[in-house]
Amino acid sequence: MDSEIFNQRTDLSELNAAVQQIRENLGQIIVGQQETIDFLIAGLLADGHILLEGVPGVAKTLSAKLVAKSIDASYSRVQFTPDLMPSDVLGTSIFDPRSASFEYRKGPIFGHIVLVDEINRAPAKTQSALFEVMEERQITVDGHTYLMDEPFMVLATQNPIEQEGTYRLPEAQLDRFLFKIEIKYPSLEEETQILMNQHQRKLEDELKAVKAVLSIQQIKTCRALIKALHVEPKLIEYVARITHETRNNKSLYLGASPRASLAIVNSAKAVAAMQGRDFVTPEDIIKVATPVLAHRIMLTPDKEMEGLTTADVVAQIIQKIEIPR
Amino acid sequence: MILARQKILLALLNNINMRIFFVFLLMFGMAAAGYPTQVAHAPALPKTELQADSSKIVVRSFNNAELNVYRKDKAFIYDRDQTQDEGFWSRFWNWLWRVIRSWFGDVKPGVPQTNYFWFVKYIVMAVLAGLVVFILVKVMGLDLKIFARKSKAIEVPYVESMDNIHEINFEEEIEKAIAAGNYRLAVRLFYLHTLKKLNDQQLIDWQPEKTNQDYVTELAASEKQEPFKQLTLQFEYVWYGEFFIDKQNFTAIKGLFDQFNLKRP
Repeated sequence: MDSEIFNQRTDLSELNAAVQQIRENLGQIIVGQQETIDFLIAGLLADGHILLEGVPGVAKTLSAKLVAKSIDASYSRVQFTPDLMPSDVLGTSIFDPRSASFEYRKGPIFGHIVLVDEINRAPAKTQSALFEVMEERQITVDGHTYLMDEPFMVLATQNPIEQEGTYRLPEAQLDRFLFKIEIKYPSLEEETQILMNQHQRKLEDELKAVKAVLSIQQIKTCRALIKALHVEPKLIEYVARITHETRNNKSLYLGASPRASLAIVNSAKAVAAMQGRDFVTPEDIIKVATPVLAHRIMLTPDKEMEGLTTADVVAQIIQKIEIPR
Repeated sequence: MILARQKILLALLNNINMRIFFVFLLMFGMAAAGYPTQVAHAPALPKTELQADSSKIVVRSFNNAELNVYRKDKAFIYDRDQTQDEGFWSRFWNWLWRVIRSWFGDVKPGVPQTNYFWFVKYIVMAVLAGLVVFILVKVMGLDLKIFARKSKAIEVPYVESMDNIHEINFEEEIEKAIAAGNYRLAVRLFYLHTLKKLNDQQLIDWQPEKTNQDYVTELAASEKQEPFKQLTLQFEYVWYGEFFIDKQNFTAIKGLFDQFNLKRP
């Protein structure tokens, strides 16, 4: 809703049109999951990596692939398996007998949108290969540093840790994901609609119907706009209070890092922009707080045994901090 | 003659019964040949006289003292009931049950206990056991929330409120802000004043941690929802968006607030 009294300071029309196009693109295939789609778009606009978690068969990989296909950019995919090596992801130097020198062969991590499927099926050794590239957008191999092309986004999927054959991701890696989005089962109506859509579509490859609607340049422009959005100082303090509280909460063994505070602010800006505002409100912060914080904090063992979740604790923390008004 | 004997013998052998008899006879003969024939007599032994046993016989008897030691050893008591002295704990319980029984006028020894008493006895035991568990849990510092509803309650107090809307003299503060040309603050005070009025009218439940959108939702059943949404939007542009507000804009916004406050709940 626009104010009739104030004129817009920032032109967000192109961004909003792009968001609408991506929504429509994903909406052609994915039934429901509007919040998931919005967080995927917000993550893309906020220059963050996204972790999608859900039980098998809830369209995690499909959602990630659709986002990737909606962007006119290079896309690569890595299937994480227990025997995957860091060099399988980053690439490796191979000896060329003709030139008598080592030549670096790039791994699948080199791409604008990288889908890491079933990320928690590989052990910590392989996960650590992603640390540098996810945070610094570069990799260092054999003393050489290779920069990633912009935009660079890791879209990872994983099954819940309770599932067979999964590892818990290292905390350092979880902290590098802007959002962890939990994909739930569809409702009865949604599931019926999924079946109807699939039935009517017969054997048509649904992914082929999806067209790229956003160019690399558009993404760069949108990201620059979002970075410049206004955040009132009291709201920045509000974000700091939320993050700080995670470090003093009795239910938590591990609190959130300053990177989490930055992630909240950046993603709240993206959410605000998606709603046509060039400033952040407390609602934007509250909306992103759970997907930003829930995977970065750890419960104490007794609270875990009580059945509490990190999302519950984030909700508690938000409830006890006064909204700046 | 010889030929005739051979024929007779052959005829006999041809007879099957005779064959079996012959085999049996042969085996019996062989077995009998295996045993030695005792025909020799054993030589006579020399005669000896048996001597009388003249060794001294000592009559032995059980040592009662030693037997008593064994008798007192618990390890050797198999079939006798052990009687123990009543300890403090047993005396306490017996006393407790006597006291409880006395409440029911049922203290005579040997009188069977009533079912009602048994019921009370188990209740008392359960309460005492629960008390012990409760004390243990508290002493060990465990927060198992046994006696409270499992809730995800807030564990730390609210962050101190920056403004208590019930303690602000809005008319005075708004006048001050307008006089100072601080229209941004004036809009904020107008908005807080509106929240207070809505709370007083019980249209919303004001809480510091609630968002503006929460209040919009709470007004769903009221005609005021839509105009309040407009007021919230203006407030957010001014306060969170820090849009520049001059006197003209302020007058327009003030008009919206005045119009809203004139509406009946």
